Amino acid sequence: MDALKSFIDLFADPRLFFLTTVVALVLIVWKRETFASDRWGWGLMGFLVVFFGFGLFDENFKLIIGKPDNVPIVALIFLLLFFTWFSMREAVRNDRRLSAGEPPIEKDEEDRVWTWPDLVYTELIAMVLCTVILIVWSIGLEAPLEQPANNANTPNPSKAPWYFLGLQEMLVYFDPWLAGVVLPSLIIVGLMAIPYIDNNPKGNGYYTFNERRAEVTIFLFGFVVLWSSLIILGTFLRGPNWNFFGPFEYWDIHKLEALTNVQLSEYIWVRWLGMALPGNWLVREIFGIILTIVYIGVLPVALAKKGLTGYYEKLGPTRYYVTVLLFLSMMSLPVKMLTRWLFNLKYVVSIPEFFFNI
Amino acid sequence: MADKRSVGHAYNIDFLNVVFAASSLFVLFATIWMVWDDYDREWKNYQRQFTALEIEVTRAGLAAAEQEVDQARVAELAAQRDSAEQRLLADAEQVGELEAQLAEVNRQLFVATQAFNFTKAEYDVNRYSFEVRREDAHSEGGGDDEHEVDGEDEVSAQFEQWVSEGLEVERLTAERDQLRAEIGTFTADVDAASRELASLTGESERLQGVVTDLQPSLVDDYLLNAPLLDFMAPTLTVRQVITPNVVDDVNFIRVPKMDRCQTCHLAIDRVGYEDYPQPFRTHPNLDTYVGSASPHSIETTGCTVCHEGMGQSITFTDAAHSPATEEQVVDWEERYGWEESHLWDYPMLPSGMAEASCAKCHNGEVFIPEADKLNLAYGMYERAGCYACHKTVGFEGLRKPGPNLTKVASKLDETWVSNWIRDPRAIKSSTWMPRVWYNSNTDGPEDAVRNEVEIDAVVAYLFENSSEHELAIPFPGRGNAENGQRIVESVGCLGCHIVGAEEREASGPRRTFGQPLQGVGSKASYQWLFDWVRDPRHYSPDTYMPDLRLDDFEVADVASYLSTLTGGDGIAATVTYDAAEVDAVLLDYMRAIVPYEEAQSAIAELSPRDRQLDLGRRAIGRYGCYSCHEIAGFEDTQAIGTELSQEGSKLLPQFDFAFVHDIPHTKRDWIDQKLRDPRVYDRGRILQPLEKLRMPNFGFSDAEARLLTTAVLSFQRDVQPKEAQVPRSARKDAIVEGRNLVRRRNCVTCHEIEGDGGDFRELVEDPSLAPPLLTPEGAKVKPDWLYAFFRGPITIRPWLEVRMPTFGLEDDHWNDVLGYFAAISDTVGPFRTHETAPDVATGTGRDLFDLLRCQQCHVLDTIPDDQDVANLAPDLRMARERLQPDWILDWLIRPLDIQPGTRMPTFWTEYPGSFYPQFDQDADAQIESIRDYLLTFSGGPSPVQGN
Repeated sequence: MDALKSFIDLFADPRLFFLTTVVALVLIVWKRETFASDRWGWGLMGFLVVFFGFGLFDENFKLIIGKPDNVPIVALIFLLLFFTWFSMREAVRNDRRLSAGEPPIEKDEEDRVWTWPDLVYTELIAMVLCTVILIVWSIGLEAPLEQPANNANTPNPSKAPWYFLGLQEMLVYFDPWLAGVVLPSLIIVGLMAIPYIDNNPKGNGYYTFNERRAEVTIFLFGFVVLWSSLIILGTFLRGPNWNFFGPFEYWDIHKLEALTNVQLSEYIWVRWLGMALPGNWLVREIFGIILTIVYIGVLPVALAKKGLTGYYEKLGPTRYYVTVLLFLSMMSLPVKMLTRWLFNLKYVVSIPEFFFNI
Repeated sequence: MADKRSVGHAYNIDFLNVVFAASSLFVLFATIWMVWDDYDREWKNYQRQFTALEIEVTRAGLAAAEQEVDQARVAELAAQRDSAEQRLLADAEQVGELEAQLAEVNRQLFVATQAFNFTKAEYDVNRYSFEVRREDAHSEGGGDDEHEVDGEDEVSAQFEQWVSEGLEVERLTAERDQLRAEIGTFTADVDAASRELASLTGESERLQGVVTDLQPSLVDDYLLNAPLLDFMAPTLTVRQVITPNVVDDVNFIRVPKMDRCQTCHLAIDRVGYEDYPQPFRTHPNLDTYVGSASPHSIETTGCTVCHEGMGQSITFTDAAHSPATEEQVVDWEERYGWEESHLWDYPMLPSGMAEASCAKCHNGEVFIPEADKLNLAYGMYERAGCYACHKTVGFEGLRKPGPNLTKVASKLDETWVSNWIRDPRAIKSSTWMPRVWYNSNTDGPEDAVRNEVEIDAVVAYLFENSSEHELAIPFPGRGNAENGQRIVESVGCLGCHIVGAEEREASGPRRTFGQPLQGVGSKASYQWLFDWVRDPRHYSPDTYMPDLRLDDFEVADVASYLSTLTGGDGIAATVTYDAAEVDAVLLDYMRAIVPYEEAQSAIAELSPRDRQLDLGRRAIGRYGCYSCHEIAGFEDTQAIGTELSQEGSKLLPQFDFAFVHDIPHTKRDWIDQKLRDPRVYDRGRILQPLEKLRMPNFGFSDAEARLLTTAVLSFQRDVQPKEAQVPRSARKDAIVEGRNLVRRRNCVTCHEIEGDGGDFRELVEDPSLAPPLLTPEGAKVKPDWLYAFFRGPITIRPWLEVRMPTFGLEDDHWNDVLGYFAAISDTVGPFRTHETAPDVATGTGRDLFDLLRCQQCHVLDTIPDDQDVANLAPDLRMARERLQPDWILDWLIRPLDIQPGTRMPTFWTEYPGSFYPQFDQDADAQIESIRDYLLTFSGGPSPVQGN
């Protein structure tokens, strides 16, 4: 039992955790025919139930998932899995029909029902059940109050509200101006831009995967892997001093992690070129600046010429560039994570003279 | 989308009906559950239980009250009342007529009073509006000119009417009183009997009323307290006190405390519940706390300023109750589902430690009356010398607690010293000297060599830097050890020194004020002991040891006796090492401050002896030996410990428990554990020698650790406002200064002052042969006499063996003591002269003096030889110079109140009456005459120069 717990704790490492979620996403998309089966869907839900049930016998696990703040996130895990599976199942069913030349399921259904009783009645029932859930929740879980706030004794770990934990995780890899200002703004702008970028009518009003492979995959990667799983990670696996703790691990405030991060400029100048760091910041950071310009300026153009030519032609230049820029900024997070984990890379561009880091 | 089809149903409506019905039931149950959850509170059950208890206790009180009532007298009075009522019947006609008249007059009076009041109201309105109109007209008319305004006559007329109506009211009132008096002449007997009956049975009737009120009732218990109805006027309510001057610091603001403890602790301020279990027990000290007449009444002080915990909370766990013992933890977990609360930074102090909070308002005081535990804890804190390493507000500027080591070579030999510091308590069980080496983080076999290297280096440094001590008498003769023992046991040495192997805890901080004398003969030479006893200041100029004025023969006897107190070789070294080990340890020390190469070359330049000495100096610096001892070369070095002035306010996360998981993670347990094993938080850690914790081990017992934890928790930052503190005044300052001084010089080991101390008195068989109680000293003796006495004590009672020593204090200190005595006796203030009548020597005073046979016990030049020494009393010839004339009166009236246990008889037991015939049996006049007679004596012993 302890060996099993230690094995699970091993996955609490951010690298393994991230890798696991990416692999899971690939498998879901690739083996969707299998994943969409009822056996897999209910089997995975059953597995989660068993996992949490088993975990409740462990003091540390119980402590972290039983906190009134965290209970909704446990529910979120179940809901996330259920809705991913459910949409995939519907999409697979429709894809089968479409490839057989039949219309999707949604088209065979009646498209009008009575407001009364069908709509109003179900809304009423939903309202009543919501009330029941809220009442039982508020009785069952105490409000997560703490001692009087004290500026000499701040909470450790200091966690953002659960819905911001993805952003807080980004702060580990990016400077606050990027993780706290630029990227969140891009997320909002990007979400608003989707209707204008994506004018493909396929998939409107019905589930499908085959007709929108790239879109669904990118969405799943952005929402499930980069957003939701980072919230889960931030809730359950980040402990004191923002260190990683396995779900069965004791939150020891003394736990240490070796922080040995290196700047890109140090890699290039000191290690590769065997020179001291130049004194002038522009010279020192020139490689990082060039790399950044290539990533956001040259790469989209190059991709338009080769690799994504089809998209470029389908979307037109404006839509294409907006899309690719948004996509690249989304991908900057996993890119930065990977370089951090593989090379201990701290910043690509680091100009402490102006408090500017990328 | 394709073409529109028909309108259909998305769901089976029958099924939806079932779902709706079920969800409606769910919401109903959820709502009922919610109401019940809100209604069902821990504290309500306690209030219900308490009502039952209150009925029981009140019934017991009622039974007792009824017992006390003289039933025969009640029956007699009832009979009297009945017969008086019978008699009243005979006059029924007359009385009836008078009562009818009275009713009529009352009616008229009511009407007249109402008219009178109405007129007054209207008059006030009209007068005001007239005044306003006249004022307006006046200012419109340019200021000066008189302008006629109508209506003044009406106002005056109304006034006249009001006055005449007032006269009518007065007339009717007089008439009514007249009638009442007439009726009263008939009913006087009945009224008198009823009144006396009521006064006899009043208490029991009141209690009966209380019992009736407390009985279960439908309205109170089921209606007013019913769920959803209990918002109106429930009888079960949260009870709270809000204390405007006592605050909670919630970090960004200070708010008045709101203590709801009484919601469950319902009898905390009520007498009669002393023996009931918590939460219904009466506070154990209502005279000092909680009681409305006490200085800390619950209305002004509340509860949590002393007990800590979260006053607003009304559940057991959230209030942050703290268990005192492990059994209590188990019990509480079972009964209340208790767990350590994390919602409040300052959990309750466990039972027995609440006195730590006294210092919040009584700050800077080392003695607080009634706070026996805290006083003892502070005494221990000082005796253990905690303040020497840990700077602590209130304990600054004190002398270093350990002996002076600048002349150590003349006193001790190196082997003894190294055995001593290896484990001091192996030599003297009651010493306060802690063990610096061989503690829990340095007692492994791999540490032994390093320990020995450091110990030897420290000893070498001390002896190398020891200066010469010139003995006052180089070759003293030997004395009689038996006589020496008698002197040690009788003159008062034992007040500060213990001789045998007593436990430190049992002896307490006052009896261990001086070095324990166990094994002193094996420690120091006879010559040194003689030199020390003869004049301690000769060796150690700042010692607190006073001079007992022994002559050189007595000194020789005492030193001879002390030389016989041998034993205690201590623990010898078990490992040996070579010079390379010394170098290695020294290198370690030096690398901490200089680069490796530099350290190496610096060591290479030193001779092996100098290396050891240098290591000794560094080790003394690291372990802070100089904090407690005067050591040459460390005169100005700062103390090494963490400042503790606000340790009690430190928050839990600031305490590092490291890998110690077997104690509860609370502040008090951290401190307690640190005191028991100061190196415990190194457990399980890999540390280089110089990274290890270095607080030495005092071997504190459970009780000592608990007391010191209380002391440390009492050191808090100032949170309470000035209004909550004890008001400052000259008198208050004098008291605080004096209390500090008499404790820091250990006067209290011999003298009981303000009910504290007097440990030495227990060693004396007969209390009347013990050092005197000093609480009334300020009222008793004249300050100039006392000052002279302090400077050069004289023998007041030659038959006592115990002596008042000469302390050699500065005048400042003596004035502090005089001010302190005056302040506690409340005699700070005007000087008074006292004139004795010219012929007292031959008058009544003398007769009474002879009659009461004062001279039977009191010395008057010659000591009465037929008296038991315990009965003897001071020479009355000193009275004029020594005693306050007013105090003599007081003393004659009530000697036992002033000095409990005194053998002085109380002659005026019927004061202010008197058994004796003089002055028409006027006790005051008799006492004054005796006093005046006493004041005619002179020529007794005197400490005043020139007398």
